[in-house]
Amino acid sequence: MVDLHAAWFSALGTVLGEGEIADISTYLKGLGLRASLPLLTVESWDEAAGIVSKPADSWWSAEEAERARLEKDVRFDPADRDWLALTDTLHGAAAVAAARSGCADQGLIRAAAGAAIYAAYQYRLAQATRAGDDHPFVRKYALFSGGRWPLGLYGDLFAIF
Amino acid sequence: MSAYPEVKTVEAFKRQPEEYQTAVKKVVRSHALNELYGAQVFDEPAIALAPTPYAKWLTCRVAMEEYHHHVRFKTLADEIGVKPEEMSTANKRPLNIFEFPMKSWEEFCVIKMLGDLAEILQVEDLLHCSFVPLRNLARTTMPEEKFHAQFGKDFCTELVKTPGSRMKVQDMVNRFYPEVPLFFGATGSHNNELYRKYSIKQRKNEEMRADYLNRAKLVLDSLGLQAPEIAAAA
Repeated sequence: MVDLHAAWFSALGTVLGEGEIADISTYLKGLGLRASLPLLTVESWDEAAGIVSKPADSWWSAEEAERARLEKDVRFDPADRDWLALTDTLHGAAAVAAARSGCADQGLIRAAAGAAIYAAYQYRLAQATRAGDDHPFVRKYALFSGGRWPLGLYGDLFAIF
Repeated sequence: MSAYPEVKTVEAFKRQPEEYQTAVKKVVRSHALNELYGAQVFDEPAIALAPTPYAKWLTCRVAMEEYHHHVRFKTLADEIGVKPEEMSTANKRPLNIFEFPMKSWEEFCVIKMLGDLAEILQVEDLLHCSFVPLRNLARTTMPEEKFHAQFGKDFCTELVKTPGSRMKVQDMVNRFYPEVPLFFGATGSHNNELYRKYSIKQRKNEEMRADYLNRAKLVLDSLGLQAPEIAAAA
């Protein structure tokens, strides 16, 4: 199971560290995308909302292809009680982070929680299949659990909040 | 105020007449299975249909909330002694609306807007239930159910702004809306009579159905959508 004591959504909008930039590079490379894509560091919930409301099909498809590959070997029960407790924790963390920034958009808060839930699910898949520390889902989870919200690839820019 | 005395705990529930216990079990079981079917056949598959990361992630969270509703009702079902085999989707045919073959994002948005409105009415009818643990569960669930229906309406509001999507939304309304009234059960239902006798539920099926049709029409009118004629509402 994933870490309930991670720093979910606590570093949104702050300057990226070298380790985080390296995580993004490894993540992109692992999905078969260009590792040196320009980065867009998003600074506000409003800006994040605008970005994630645009299609990002090629990036999403790359993630989904990897998810489907891993799911050939393992599946999880979405109604598992521990898992549901984690999803509520992530929703709470997103709500707290949003409130601190003056954001009360329930849809956007749920979207942030949903993004973290999706990342946590992908991480569980990677762990269960012993995919290794450089697996893109492990690096993406590292970004989330370190307080970031990776928003995805839009055009030639990889956006992260 | 309930005509039947409040049953405040599971222990007190087990001292109630057999008929009361059976009636409560049916209601809890129905909600538990409906929440599970909804999450499995609509919400989770809709993540792939959503057009943007925002819509996908929001749908993901909504799916988890629906699964959580299922687990809450199932936990209560376990506590009051519903048999495990009665809680399996393999042993119970889903209600008609869960057999709808959803294939597009527009269809999903209409299902949330109109289907979750029906669920709101069902949960509303438990807000003053004589079995207090079930009443509290309904009260806990209600804010999220309202959000889910609003989610559907908000996305439909965006979709109807473009002619092509408006046609798809109206087409789905035409096909889905006539199915929803059956969700409220038969007119003159014996089960519903028992639910009201014991103050488990408050209203007749036909009263809830009529209320639903009025409220759904208001929603559709607000979006400039046509409510299709419903020939046999009962």
